[in-house]
Amino acid sequence: MAPPPIVQQKSSSPSQPSGYVFFLPSLSVLLLNRKPLRFLIPSYCLSRKSEVSDLKLQLRQLAGSRAPGADDSKRDLFKRVISYMTVGIDVSAAFSEMVMCSATSDIVLKKMCYLYVGNYARCHPDLALLTINFLQKDCRDVDPMIRGLALRSLCSLRVPNLVEYLVSPLSSGLEDGSPYVRMVAVLGVLKLYHISATTCFDSDFPASLKNLMLTDSDAQVVANCLFVLQEIWNLEANKSEEANRERETLLSKQTIYYLLNRIKEFNEWAQCLILELISKYIPSDSNDIFDIMNLLEDRLQHANGAVVLATIKVFLHLTMSMTDVHQQVYERLKAPLLTLVGSGSSEQSYAVLSHLHLLVMRAPMLFSSDYKHFYCQFSDPSYIKKLKLEMLTAIANESNTYEIVTELCEYAGNVDVPIARESIRAVGKIALQQYDVNAIVDRLLQFLEMEKDYVTAETLVLVKDLLRKYPQWSHDCIAVVGNISSKNVQEPKAKAALIWMLGEYSKDMPDAPYILENLIENWDDENAAEVRLHLLTAAMKCFLKRPPETQKALGAALAAGVADSHQDVHDRALLYYRLLQYDVSVAERVVNPPKQAVSVFADLQSSEVKDRIFDEFNTLSVVYQKPSYMFTDKEHRGPFEFSEEIGNLSLDQESMDNAPRFDESDKDLLLSTSEREENGGPSINGAATPGYSAPHDYNSSLVPLSSQTQSEPAVTSRTSFAIDDLLGLSMLAAPAPPSLKLNSKAALDPGTFQRKWGQLGVSISQEIPISPQGVGSLTTPQALIRHMQANSIHCIASGGQSPNFKFFLFAQKDDGSASFFLVECIVNTSSAKAQVKVKADDASASEAFFALFQSALSKFGM
Amino acid sequence: MPVAASAIYFLNLRGDVLINRLYRDDVGGNMVDAFRIHIMQTKELGTCPVRQIGGCSFLYMRISNVYIVIVVSGNANVACAFKFVVEAVALFKSYFGGAFDEDAIRNNFVLIYELLDEIMDFGYPQNLSPEILKLYITQEGVRSPFSSKPSDKPVPNATLQVTGAVGWRREGLMYKKNEVFLDIVESVNLLMSSKGSVLRCDVTGKILMKCFLSGMPDLKLGLNDKIGLEKESQIKSRPIKSGKTIELDDVTFHQCVNLTRFNSEKTVSFVPPDGEFELMKYRITEGVNLPFRVLPTIKELGRTRMEVNVKVKSVFGAKMFALGVVVKVPVPKQTAKTSFQVTSGRAKYNASIDCLVWKIRKFPGQTESTMSAEVELISTMVEKKSWTRPPIQMEFQVPMFTASGLRVRFLKVWEKSGYNTVEWVRYITKAGSYEIRC
Repeated sequence: MAPPPIVQQKSSSPSQPSGYVFFLPSLSVLLLNRKPLRFLIPSYCLSRKSEVSDLKLQLRQLAGSRAPGADDSKRDLFKRVISYMTVGIDVSAAFSEMVMCSATSDIVLKKMCYLYVGNYARCHPDLALLTINFLQKDCRDVDPMIRGLALRSLCSLRVPNLVEYLVSPLSSGLEDGSPYVRMVAVLGVLKLYHISATTCFDSDFPASLKNLMLTDSDAQVVANCLFVLQEIWNLEANKSEEANRERETLLSKQTIYYLLNRIKEFNEWAQCLILELISKYIPSDSNDIFDIMNLLEDRLQHANGAVVLATIKVFLHLTMSMTDVHQQVYERLKAPLLTLVGSGSSEQSYAVLSHLHLLVMRAPMLFSSDYKHFYCQFSDPSYIKKLKLEMLTAIANESNTYEIVTELCEYAGNVDVPIARESIRAVGKIALQQYDVNAIVDRLLQFLEMEKDYVTAETLVLVKDLLRKYPQWSHDCIAVVGNISSKNVQEPKAKAALIWMLGEYSKDMPDAPYILENLIENWDDENAAEVRLHLLTAAMKCFLKRPPETQKALGAALAAGVADSHQDVHDRALLYYRLLQYDVSVAERVVNPPKQAVSVFADLQSSEVKDRIFDEFNTLSVVYQKPSYMFTDKEHRGPFEFSEEIGNLSLDQESMDNAPRFDESDKDLLLSTSEREENGGPSINGAATPGYSAPHDYNSSLVPLSSQTQSEPAVTSRTSFAIDDLLGLSMLAAPAPPSLKLNSKAALDPGTFQRKWGQLGVSISQEIPISPQGVGSLTTPQALIRHMQANSIHCIASGGQSPNFKFFLFAQKDDGSASFFLVECIVNTSSAKAQVKVKADDASASEAFFALFQSALSKFGM
Repeated sequence: MPVAASAIYFLNLRGDVLINRLYRDDVGGNMVDAFRIHIMQTKELGTCPVRQIGGCSFLYMRISNVYIVIVVSGNANVACAFKFVVEAVALFKSYFGGAFDEDAIRNNFVLIYELLDEIMDFGYPQNLSPEILKLYITQEGVRSPFSSKPSDKPVPNATLQVTGAVGWRREGLMYKKNEVFLDIVESVNLLMSSKGSVLRCDVTGKILMKCFLSGMPDLKLGLNDKIGLEKESQIKSRPIKSGKTIELDDVTFHQCVNLTRFNSEKTVSFVPPDGEFELMKYRITEGVNLPFRVLPTIKELGRTRMEVNVKVKSVFGAKMFALGVVVKVPVPKQTAKTSFQVTSGRAKYNASIDCLVWKIRKFPGQTESTMSAEVELISTMVEKKSWTRPPIQMEFQVPMFTASGLRVRFLKVWEKSGYNTVEWVRYITKAGSYEIRC
């Protein structure tokens, strides 16, 4: 526990009964002299203000003291100040006292004081001025340690007004006899540059650094000069021609060889940065390249993995233009990389493995015999397993597929569900690479027999892709897929895949129309638009193959589709409907054209992006698998992309992997449509136009096709309602919508809310991004609730924990009518998105309300 | 321009800040809150050690009960940053003597701040070598309570060496008895399929050294590796002596080893640092001698009973023995009752890790031991199809045995004063990740 404040002990002593007076002072002396004062950070409930003022008082008492032991008690007090500072308690009030106490020869006291000053100087520039005097004095101390420390602190004050005081200590520091001081001074120049670039250039510091870099005897000074010059010229390069030239000279042959020859003098960290510089060097000829590689080859044996990786970068970049050597370099790098993966903590292996992953992806065939190195250990963390799985997938070829797939199948039963899924996907990807498809199809079908929901789900998606590439396997697959009960498939992607197969192979599956019919009956419970889209298409395909059995189901599907609130579903239903109305044989050609097997699935990343990542070897880009401009440049990272990135990092890898496949399947539907348009475009357009202009006419014309629709008046009325809504919206969009006013004192009891929520249909469902500030402020649901309340949108229920929050909100129109808007808002802070569903008494105003809601949400956290 | 860090934080498991050090202004002061909210308090923790939040990247690792978080705003050098953390922790450990945990940090936070100041400046790593830092940063600080002048005896000397290239050894060391201790520590990683075939097997070894030598000695180490021996026989133009040679897949050395000489002559020669250090690390995938064979048979008898039979054979020399052998056999969660029969050691069911744990304190070479267990399961209403069996894991230590077959042939010490040294060599093989699927 924290020792009781000493002053309290002292001050309380006189008021104690006489018997204790004798005892207490000795106790306080005891406390003062207790050397290893074990200090714990106090709990937040203690009153901080009094603590801080206590500290101030004690510091003041000690400031002038030269008594023996004063330094010890100062140390204890300083420790307390620093520990308060660490936990975030503001102790800047004691600034002047701290400065007063710092006139000491005790180096530890000085360091603590410097730390304190560095922390608070920026927010209290006036107080920082107090410290200048003693720091400048310390810069002239006899002890180089003190000189260095003082100079470092002086440069770390970061107060623009005090820049003038920096110049002279810095220039004398650069010429100091002690390398320690020079080393500090060099980095001081960089600090000065960041405070005031003009002062830095006016004093001609870059030129002195350049000189120092080429002449100083001390390696660390040279290294620091290099860091500073590199950083300054890189930042200045866009601004001036001269800076650009200076940057070039850093990469000149002369400088590079100077550094190369001295490389063994530098410590491991400096070597990393020097190697980084060398990797940017453009060699003059092949001799140059081999010279450098020979000089650096022993660096591959360095114990520090960072040095090894930096060397690898140099090797890779130097040999870019020489294909055969480049390949040999890969061979040479394999062993050190594999060693690095196996040593150190799993975080370090992750960093290395990411780089190995990059190389494997660039040249899979070179690693195909090393596949056993990428087998997962049971104890590997999942982030490592994931990379290994991707590499195993990439390096599969004729010779090793059997072993790799056998190994991957082991993981399918893994306890770690995401990894199990990943490994099933890997098996599928290998199959798509065309090796040993026969055996793999068998394996995949075995997965379906494992009867685990997630295994089934993943496998279905894969079987679908396989069938698109190898239609010849349909017979085997369909037999097994037909046995899967659609009730056991819940995941949208898997469901969509199953439905796709039902539609595509409805001829071979006797039950197909009935399974589809079942699914269509539950249309309203189906949340994913993707599934509903596939359901429409599958119903169409099935109808065209087996009309009598499917007619009823198709009618229901089209009716439900047209009434659907999702734009795409609605549009597709309409399209199918009109196609059928126009000519069934045309519809057949559009929906069910003879398909060509997909030969190559689209690559996720363009080769340009991949090359950029490769250019940025040994940085975060490789770990994130995207070039740095995507995550560092502010211009490239608008609020939207920004929020996406947060989500992409780990969560959405999965969806990123899958997204293109669905695009693909959507595309081939679209493609066939557009092809159709090219051939007989006018006819379709002719059919579509009248339908569009006369919705009621269209509604009645639905009857002959599927008489069932009319027998369900509820459905028809909803259909027309939705279409009115659609037209209403398009009309609203033209003139500015009347600004919607909300009743700030709206009230709704939970019972009514629940009833209304049940009754009303969703009028808007959208995902909207949240600003990073908003995400930052959303630590508890209350923050958002208060914010929305200020915008007259009230909360009726909320819950959840970071990163998922759920809110039910409502608002009322301020025109006296009892028209309410009900909102369900699910916020995911890690993807920085909100899933918003709006239901409204007056659906026509819901768009206006949504705009209001969106603008209110976007202001959250500002 | 890869910077290693803009800020570094030390947090305890609850997310309280133990130490924070901001090196650059390009990350906000509240970054630690972002880490707490978006990583520590969510399921994200542990899913990936590199995350990006709000334009900043967070690189974190857990060491005992402390999270060390590095925050950068730009495109940093990840490998360098993680290595820096690992090295910094090693440095702190050498200062506190042993443990690195929350308590040690709280007790030494002033010292840690001092060190953080020295080891990194404005985001660039400076000097992390404990040998040099200890010259001018001592636990008690360089103190002079009574005189106003600093006791400047060690200090100027230190600042000279702070930045020196041969940073790992001080001059003027003296020992009464000159001794060198070599420890060859190997860990065997094995992945065996349920059918008994080796899927993957390798050995990662390291040679640890403890040096108590006077002056500036020059050391040369000879191993029975193939390349080194071939080179040697070339130079001395005599045939390789018979005996087992081994092939090292890859080697890395401590910075003291003269790499140029290693590349040309294949000898390991070096001026060692004082005290304890890791001389080299190596990796071997060919010709590994597995110390143990494990033969499991697991039968599921109906839905409520299982029979587990595990036979372990030691295949190293009969004169040697393994210590601390532990075999962990995973069983389903719904295990209710277990009964065991073992030929040696003791076995019990550990419900917290869902494993049968069989421990044998001392396992002689060329023997075998079996455990047979009967496991009764609670019959569950939920129809569980097949139970996915995690692999059997094994732990052990075998002294005087190397799975790779590596042997030290000689260790020569030259010093100008020509003193005699005593060299000690120890071998030990441990289980790394020794997994047998069943």
